Amino acid sequence: MAPVVQCMGLTKTYGRKIALNQIYLNLERGRIIGLLGPNGSGKTTLIKIMNGLLRPTAGEVLINGQRPGVDTKLRISYLPERTYLQPGMKVVELVQYFQDFYPDFRMDRAYDMLARLQIPPQERLKNLSKGTKEKVQLIMVMSRDADLYILDEPIAGVDPAARDYILHTIVNNYNHCGSILLSTHLISDVENILDEVVFIKYGSIVLQAGAEQIRQNEHKSVDQFFREVFAC
Amino acid sequence: MLGKLMKYEWKATWKLLVSANALTWLMTIIAWFMVKILDRTGYSDFEMMDFMAVMVLLTYVLSMFAVSVGTGIYLIYRFYTSTYGDQGYLLHTLPVDTHHIIIAKLLVSAAWELINIVSIYLSVIFLFASSSEIFDSMMRGMKDAIKYMGAEKITAFTVIMTLVAFLFSMFAKLLKVGACISLGQLSSNHKLMLSFAWYIAIYVVEQIIQGMYFAIQIAFHKRLSYMDHASYFDHQWETVLIGGIISCVVFYLLTWYVMSRKLNLD
Repeated sequence: MAPVVQCMGLTKTYGRKIALNQIYLNLERGRIIGLLGPNGSGKTTLIKIMNGLLRPTAGEVLINGQRPGVDTKLRISYLPERTYLQPGMKVVELVQYFQDFYPDFRMDRAYDMLARLQIPPQERLKNLSKGTKEKVQLIMVMSRDADLYILDEPIAGVDPAARDYILHTIVNNYNHCGSILLSTHLISDVENILDEVVFIKYGSIVLQAGAEQIRQNEHKSVDQFFREVFAC
Repeated sequence: MLGKLMKYEWKATWKLLVSANALTWLMTIIAWFMVKILDRTGYSDFEMMDFMAVMVLLTYVLSMFAVSVGTGIYLIYRFYTSTYGDQGYLLHTLPVDTHHIIIAKLLVSAAWELINIVSIYLSVIFLFASSSEIFDSMMRGMKDAIKYMGAEKITAFTVIMTLVAFLFSMFAKLLKVGACISLGQLSSNHKLMLSFAWYIAIYVVEQIIQGMYFAIQIAFHKRLSYMDHASYFDHQWETVLIGGIISCVVFYLLTWYVMSRKLNLD
């Protein structure tokens, strides 16, 4: 079976600035992969290209062997680093929205997670706190049975208790036949759930390895190794 | 998926736009009472009540203008935020065709423009029908205008085609705004400024083409003789329809090209 993600010579430039430089990357199925790099390293640019929100300057990315389009959007569940919800919508309307557009959306799973967090379905999104809105967004994304979950900085800017909830939600709700690509620079919080890590620096992939492999070979945690690789 | 996109586009816009139209009708009813008062007291006795009536009528006219312009601005804002703002992250990751996104937004925006136009026309008719004097003079004026234009000779076909041409002009106007906002996204910075620049540039080009077209008409065909108005109006819809269709195709393709080939959500 083809890798869930294949990047071939992927390059993105903004004027003279190179955001991604000749990326070659294969991501296999059934794994939780950390896309790790400091701010401005190109993580979000790479993720946006996978989701068809940006067009590459050169090279191409294939999801399930296809270029980003309607078919790949059916199979990717994407959590951006910002809130994309319509403030006037009620939570129940948002659930219906996802149900209407994504055939793999599981409404019962969404309501179950909302109930556990005591988020009233009749509440309007504009009345929810920023943290609760982020949780609602995560619930929508994780209520799908996707082939690839792309989560861009899901734990940035939330308190440690919320981080635990988010990671718990991710690990317990994803489709285990699919993969998770999780972008973050908060390595210590996610290290324990990662099967594989991809280090990205100045728009180039500097390392792709198993998390356990790093711990065994380098005799240090992924977080410590990351700090070494990205030391200023 | 087109139906679902339209349903959610309608749901996202109806509250504000229905409120705006409700305001129109509230002002219409208040103005209707004032016209009744003016009718009863006579226009020569300009007293305090009449002054208030005039102020209410002025507010009525301003509210019509505000609702009309406000609807247009709101629809532009809605297009921008839902397509290229934060909400665009959800819209462009839905498993839907780009054509469906554009058509859904176009049809819902056009529906609102039409509702507004019909609402304002009905409001004006309702208001002036309340005063026999004003209504009679308005009807006389309309009859004279129709007679002057030679519209008595105009066929039902011409009327229908004029309405169709009007619809295409409206679609073209909405698509032009969408195309300009989309073209503005080609810039890494200054996206809004570039959108305005595109709008001005397209407007100038349109004016030049229109000017050239009429100059050619006058020079070669002499159709603008104003001696035969029926003949003029009989053919005017053709020009508007062809211009509208060409504009629709050009602006639609530009919007589609940017959304499907050059999408650049920062």
